[in-house]
Amino acid sequence: MAEARVVERFKKRTIWFHWIHTASFLVLLVTGAILFLPGLGGAAAGGLTRSIHRIAVVFFVGAPVVYFILNPRMSLHFIKETLTWGQSDFEWLRSAPDYYFGGDEEKMPPQGHVNTGQKMWQLVVLVTGVLFLLSGIFMWFLKDTLSPGVFQWFVIVHDIAFILALLMLLVHVYLGIIHPRMTESLRSMWDGKISKTYARSHYGKWYDEEAKDKS
Amino acid sequence: MEISRKDFLKGAAGATGLLLLQPPAIALAKDTQTRDGMAMLIDVTKCVNCWWCYAACKKYNKLPETVKPDLEDPPELSPDIWTTLQPVKQGDRWVSRKKACNHCTEAACVEVCPTGALSYNHLGFVQYDKEKCSGCGYCAEYCPFGVPQMEKNNTITGVAIMNKCTFCQDRVTNGEQPACAAACTTGAITYGKRTDLITQAQERITELGRQNVDASAYGINELNGLHVMYILDSSPEVYGLPADPQVPAAGTVRDIFKWLGSGLAIAALAGFGLNYLVARLRLRGEEK
Repeated sequence: MAEARVVERFKKRTIWFHWIHTASFLVLLVTGAILFLPGLGGAAAGGLTRSIHRIAVVFFVGAPVVYFILNPRMSLHFIKETLTWGQSDFEWLRSAPDYYFGGDEEKMPPQGHVNTGQKMWQLVVLVTGVLFLLSGIFMWFLKDTLSPGVFQWFVIVHDIAFILALLMLLVHVYLGIIHPRMTESLRSMWDGKISKTYARSHYGKWYDEEAKDKS
Repeated sequence: MEISRKDFLKGAAGATGLLLLQPPAIALAKDTQTRDGMAMLIDVTKCVNCWWCYAACKKYNKLPETVKPDLEDPPELSPDIWTTLQPVKQGDRWVSRKKACNHCTEAACVEVCPTGALSYNHLGFVQYDKEKCSGCGYCAEYCPFGVPQMEKNNTITGVAIMNKCTFCQDRVTNGEQPACAAACTTGAITYGKRTDLITQAQERITELGRQNVDASAYGINELNGLHVMYILDSSPEVYGLPADPQVPAAGTVRDIFKWLGSGLAIAALAGFGLNYLVARLRLRGEEK
């Protein structure tokens, strides 16, 4: 019998936000990738995929804006968390290969609500989000105003953001769903809860300081 | 839970596979691209500004017709105007260059078109398939001559189909000459084999030299050879042609990123596979 999952890790609204953002990003990814990855361009013929891309972006940008307005404190905390880096992050990075391949937990410094790897992902989401948004606005609304040279480089900014986001997304999906030791990660993004053992082993600092008393 | 996780993995693996495992055959297939084939030679010294090429183009391609344009205010290329004149005042007379798609051998528009709507015809010109056009406008942004013209852009959907000179594809593939060349009565537009036209251009330049006209050819080597070449009596810039047209560097940078991005993604997937196997083995060991 599996251990009861009683530690609250994510709030319902955060989970909703996560999946709306995910769904819209996947639509953006597919409708964008066909223009970018070699040999898939035929799927964009007729321009329907661009319309889908533009509908999806309304949700992709709208979701964080709405979330921010409804939860300003949590949102600011998320940004602060993403941008705060310290000594333990470097220790984590040094020990990470031993842990993710071998399961050696000894050297891993106890982590807060998110670990260093997740923080890297959050950072990539923030940075590429800004790059996507800025270059996208120019490509959408200022195409006729911009000189061709400037337009071409905005497309390349969009490309760079795409590569960064795609690679980190692959890592995120792999670790969240597939890696044999991340057993409760996907479910916690569904109902928001994890077990005490999982909390202690993966987010020791957070569990001891914040979550322990609430569960 | 185990089953749903497995199903999820299968679905995700399938979707990722679709995204990443593009058949290289499609990606590497090159259109028939030739420096030779058929071409047009435009001789500005023979043009008498009659606008018949302009009218013939409109009539043959069923584009909305207009009154005869004014040399002082010549029309620009647009979705409805695939060829026009670029008149230059020299003393008290007007000398015009007929302006349209130059049908490059190394065509920036073909290189950047993501849907394959633009491609090379084996006769040398740049053909396009309106059905395939997504309206992205990359061709218009990249063309060093500013030729492709997008129909009015819908701000919400971005739909805007590209238009440009077709080289009168249905005529030339049936052995006829393009409508503009057929309409020209002064020999300012000659249609023929590109190799023959190069010889003809060189002879004409020598002839003009004997008449003390300092003429030069344009388009013999530019972009690996244009399929619309010119005899000019002034520098190319005077007639609105860049002296050294290039496929913009951004196109090459994009190509590098495309392959880099695909390569890194495939490397990451391979890394995950390896990581999964090792981590799984170690976990099994611990459980025993």
